[in-house]
Amino acid sequence: MITWTNFVSQLFNGLALGALLALISSGLTIIYGTLGVLNLAHGAMFMLGGYAGYVAYEATGSFVVAVIAGTLFLLVVGVAMERLIIRHFYGRPHEDQLLVTFGLGIVMVELVRLFFSSLSKTVPPPQLLSGITSMGFLFYPTYRLAAVGIVAVALLAMYIVLYRTRLGMIVRAGIEDPVMVDSLGINVYRIFMIVFGIGAMAAGFAGIVNAPVASLTPDVGEAILVQTFVVVVIGGVGSFPGAVLGGLIAGEIISVTSMFNPGYAYVMLFGAMTLVLMLRPQGLLGTKGRE
Amino acid sequence: MRDSKSKFHGYNRRDFMLTGLGVAGGLALPTAFASRAFAADRPPIGTWPAGSAGDSVFIGITVPRTGAYALQGEDELKGYELAVEHINTGHPLIKKISPKTTKGVLGKTVKYGVADSGAKPNDAVQAEQRFISENKAVLMTGSTSSAVAVALNKLAQREKVLYVAGISGSNDTTGKDCVRYGFRQCFYGETAANAIGPVLLKTFGKNRKAAFMTPDYTYGHTVTKSMNDFLTKNGGWTMVTNQVSPLGAPDFSSYLTNIANSGAEILVNVNWGHDAVLSIQQAKQFGILPKMKLVVPYQVPFLAREVGAETMEGVYAATDFWWTLEDKYPLAKMFVEAFDKKYGYKPEWGAENAYMEFALWAEAVEHAGTFYPPEVIKSYEAGRKIDSVVGEVYWRAADHQLVRPVIIVRGKKPGDMKNKEDFWDVTEILPGAPLMQKPDAFGCKLGDYT
Amino acid sequence: MLRQRPYLVEALLAIGLIAAPFILPHLGFAPDTVNRILVWGLFGIGFDILFGYTGLLSFGQSAFYGTGGFVAAYLLTRAGFPYVLLALILGMIAAAAVGFLVGLVALRRTGIYFAMITVAIAEVFYFVEFNPLAHWTGGENGLPGVPAPTLYLGFATVHMSTGWSLYPFLALCYFIGIVVALRIVRSPVGAIFSAIRENPLRAAAVGHSVHTYKLAAFVIAAAYAGLAGGLLGVLQAFMPPDAFTFETSGQLVILTAIGGRGTLFGPLLGATIWLYLQDYLQGSLGLGASWKLVLGLVFVLLVAFLRHGIIGGITDLYRWVSGRAAPAGTEETASLPGFEIGETQDASAAGTGRAAAVAPPPARRRPAPGFTGPILHATGLCKYYGGVVANADIDFSVNRGELRGIIGPNGAGKSTFFKMLTCEVPPSSGKIVFEGRDITGKTVTEVCQLGLTKSYQVNQLFNRLTVRENLTIAALAELRGKFRLDLLRSLRTFPGLREQVDHTLELVNLVECRDTPVAQLAYGEKRRLEVGLALASSPTLLLLDEPLAGMSPSERAETVTLLRSIGEGRTMIIIDHDMDALFNLAERITVLQEGRVLVEGTPDEIKSNAAVQEAYLGGVHGVIDE
Repeated sequence: MITWTNFVSQLFNGLALGALLALISSGLTIIYGTLGVLNLAHGAMFMLGGYAGYVAYEATGSFVVAVIAGTLFLLVVGVAMERLIIRHFYGRPHEDQLLVTFGLGIVMVELVRLFFSSLSKTVPPPQLLSGITSMGFLFYPTYRLAAVGIVAVALLAMYIVLYRTRLGMIVRAGIEDPVMVDSLGINVYRIFMIVFGIGAMAAGFAGIVNAPVASLTPDVGEAILVQTFVVVVIGGVGSFPGAVLGGLIAGEIISVTSMFNPGYAYVMLFGAMTLVLMLRPQGLLGTKGRE
Repeated sequence: MRDSKSKFHGYNRRDFMLTGLGVAGGLALPTAFASRAFAADRPPIGTWPAGSAGDSVFIGITVPRTGAYALQGEDELKGYELAVEHINTGHPLIKKISPKTTKGVLGKTVKYGVADSGAKPNDAVQAEQRFISENKAVLMTGSTSSAVAVALNKLAQREKVLYVAGISGSNDTTGKDCVRYGFRQCFYGETAANAIGPVLLKTFGKNRKAAFMTPDYTYGHTVTKSMNDFLTKNGGWTMVTNQVSPLGAPDFSSYLTNIANSGAEILVNVNWGHDAVLSIQQAKQFGILPKMKLVVPYQVPFLAREVGAETMEGVYAATDFWWTLEDKYPLAKMFVEAFDKKYGYKPEWGAENAYMEFALWAEAVEHAGTFYPPEVIKSYEAGRKIDSVVGEVYWRAADHQLVRPVIIVRGKKPGDMKNKEDFWDVTEILPGAPLMQKPDAFGCKLGDYT
Repeated sequence: MLRQRPYLVEALLAIGLIAAPFILPHLGFAPDTVNRILVWGLFGIGFDILFGYTGLLSFGQSAFYGTGGFVAAYLLTRAGFPYVLLALILGMIAAAAVGFLVGLVALRRTGIYFAMITVAIAEVFYFVEFNPLAHWTGGENGLPGVPAPTLYLGFATVHMSTGWSLYPFLALCYFIGIVVALRIVRSPVGAIFSAIRENPLRAAAVGHSVHTYKLAAFVIAAAYAGLAGGLLGVLQAFMPPDAFTFETSGQLVILTAIGGRGTLFGPLLGATIWLYLQDYLQGSLGLGASWKLVLGLVFVLLVAFLRHGIIGGITDLYRWVSGRAAPAGTEETASLPGFEIGETQDASAAGTGRAAAVAPPPARRRPAPGFTGPILHATGLCKYYGGVVANADIDFSVNRGELRGIIGPNGAGKSTFFKMLTCEVPPSSGKIVFEGRDITGKTVTEVCQLGLTKSYQVNQLFNRLTVRENLTIAALAELRGKFRLDLLRSLRTFPGLREQVDHTLELVNLVECRDTPVAQLAYGEKRRLEVGLALASSPTLLLLDEPLAGMSPSERAETVTLLRSIGEGRTMIIIDHDMDALFNLAERITVLQEGRVLVEGTPDEIKSNAAVQEAYLGGVHGVIDE
């Protein structure tokens, strides 16, 4: 399927796919960057956001309410998780944090299965955004087009929060040098809680925004989690711009490779990650020395 | 059971070759004793005679209850449970399929254990091994994919305990990986392709352009090949693209973009489980459906419920069973009613397949008059005509595949649906025998009885 | 606890393995479950060496489990290779080889980054097994028909199949696996693994090639995984494709965490509990699909409340019950199994008292042949961080046997200068010559091996190890070089090691607390150990970065005596803020200011130098004092 039209189509599709990956990965990366905790429950949170939105949609029939509900619910989940569990792990080895979030991920997935069964759930896009748009070179689902815009706005909002507010300055300073922030007398725990909440919120938001694209099952987060790892490693762990760049690169690799040989789309993705590790181990936009 | 205290009661004699090492030595005695007590003429084999020595027999069931195939697994499990209930109570439906059945099997109550396999062969084998050694299971079952079915086939042959496959669409299950101790009731890749192929040629005509979506594993590649071979040879169709995707892909947009730009007229989707659901939903989002005609060669239980009737309208699929067959077969009617009454929905083919597996096993055992596995296998291989929920069926002795019709269905227009579960029109019921390959065509060698 | 009897663990394990088939069935274990536990246990031994001992958490062990399994299974089924044992070993070698290649890539990063990379790599392996290699691996159907081993004992042939008949074989494999693993963790390599877990930076700085050792641990783990994978195929006469999935790796991590990491037996215990609960929750409790939810919760609770898994919990409980005899807070120690010492000698050593009486270890290294100039000679050293100049145009030379002091106000670039000398940071320009060799651009490990090392301004110790273990690790670097794979050699019988460690202990006056974990030392003791770590590798040139910082006056006096004594026959460079002490100790002083050498001279010259007073007091003349 190597034609000019298809190439342009795939480039565009890669952008759409990448935008979503960028959004999910950005939550993972800022949590890691600030708290030093790699949240292995991030995929489960993505899934949870979708289900929370689904419940809200079933109750109200409004997609906007669903998005808000999915996002807020994950904010609550994130804050609660940080306060009740993660907080007690800051003083413990990284591995313990990985283990506990890994376990929490399993618990979330199986809880959802218990309540919603394994039958997939669908959240339809809002009326306004349903249907297909002709873009000249290809027909593209209107909602997916809109999702690119929605994700772009969300990423911009995160950018503003991280780069244009006091909170953001503290967070970024914390990513650079946690000891310094601590010594400034800033209540790091509160910052951590907020950051974890924001990261969880980003996952939840991505989950519900993705729900009209891909129907929900309890296992929807697992495949995403591994991809976000790749995105974060390519972009640079802890780097917000890195997550965005990594997401876009990953989206393009999957899409463009599928044009030549669809069976190898994911192998190419992992291949790209290996290449980055060989040539620039800290990731494309990562800073050296952060582990 | 006379010697219930010993955990090793009835354990295979082959296992005690190590007496010299002193590990198993102390354990061999009760076994030998028990064996002598129950079988003067036949040496013990597998879990026989220990497994059927009491007033009940045990079946080990493993289905996926977590992970990607959990939905199909739970449905399958319901079919098994209903069958066990019917066998133990001597329900009229069981008596139609297995006329010799009174209550239970050979008068023994059927008990069962369920373990989650997560659709993983390793976990399935692990669970069944435990059912064999701990519960002395006389029968194993459960699978939603051929990977598990093949693994359990091999376990069955090694442990000399019967295995009846759950959902398994690969030609290998009764082809190159067939075993003497394994049996399959349901339709498979080859029969599906041979059944739906002529229907497609009849409906869409010759020289069409088809895009394929293939899950990237052996089952997917075989079905795609069978379909494509048939369509090119007999109808001059061309495969314009074959989009191979990994299991559990979270998004199909790049594959669908290729298909959208391929100029295909017909989309043959070989994906299974949630992959099928997601790829069809997204094909709809991309406007590929209904522009292209969708064909699902190997139907997925719950597909129509999950995807929705609008999308499935006019879609052709080959399947094992659809509940509206109740209008044609009285046994189907009994089955659908009993199932609906117990579980509150119409059974999908996974449940039907599960039910039939147990019913057919009960039939075979009753005819053998013993649980002695070689006799039960010979009873299966006798090729009796048996009444089933899809009419008369019989086992093919050479590869242990049930000769049974394949059902072709077409998605109904939402307006024509009589109730919310009335998704498909049964368009054809194709007799099984002409659809099947020669028994040895896929390299089946059944192996030994003992 | 078990120190006096080195083979007790092995003996207890052998008894346990022999007794298991007679006891476990009464507890509701099926023979195949027991066999499976052994396979998980064996898989976990390697992983525990990697994770529990070396501190590298990999989520990609399934890649090697699958590789070993499929190589063995392929040989035994499709290739028709008749020797089961040999096939298993070939599978193990294949897994180790693959582990080596993967390690080269994955070990470029550490910590969480490393964990993420291993996840991705394992995914690639799964894909490759499933698709491009499906012809060899059977794709999603796996490889059925793996035969069980047959042993020819000369007088009899033992056929194994399933259940208890296979058990002795698996138990033997596990036993050998544990014996080998115990040897490894008790070897010098094992000690260095623990050091890497505790403080990779310091492990490198005392002269161990950390990256190579990590690679060794990774390959060991891969080899164990490969063997276990092969045995999985033998165990169920079928090699399942799901051996390769991420979930397999995840489960291994879970089992190890439940049982207790850094114990070698943790995975075995974890597997016992996990498999038992899996059966119990689904079978006896009839939880159906929610079994996994319950197990997930159990796991979260275990991680939250039992930090070191069940074995760790039992150890803590034992310590708690056995009560006051143990010093408080010992739960944070992770002892190296190899560090066992006879009690008799300790009693006598304890009485020796003050350190000053002890002669320092000789500076053992030889300069390059025929070399006579200054021991260290740096020319034109510059270091820029972006636009900021940390050091500029430093020319610096130290003669053999000299004791040089470096002073300078805060921000004068003293620490950066030191880091360049020890090759922790590369200079932006300039050249450093040590004993006639150009060491510019070498690594800190190489430089330490040449005989140049440093004690740190902020303590860099191996915190959960004891004082003796700390010093042993440093001494090993000198005795063994930067890398050697003496996996099976006992640490206890290592020639010269005990002497060197004891000597350093006495020198830094830490004999009495030699078996105390570092975390429990007083601050002054830690500082002395910090110096001791640098000393234990008997360097020719020793750099000390603020050795007196944060000490009480009496501790200072003691340390100054110590420094004086170790300075004999050795070249030392000391940075400190305590000028009185430095003026007292050093023969010459170099003063740095704003990244440059301000002046250099004898203490008396420096004291009276106007520029120095200017620098410190901003033009107000007076006596220099802290």
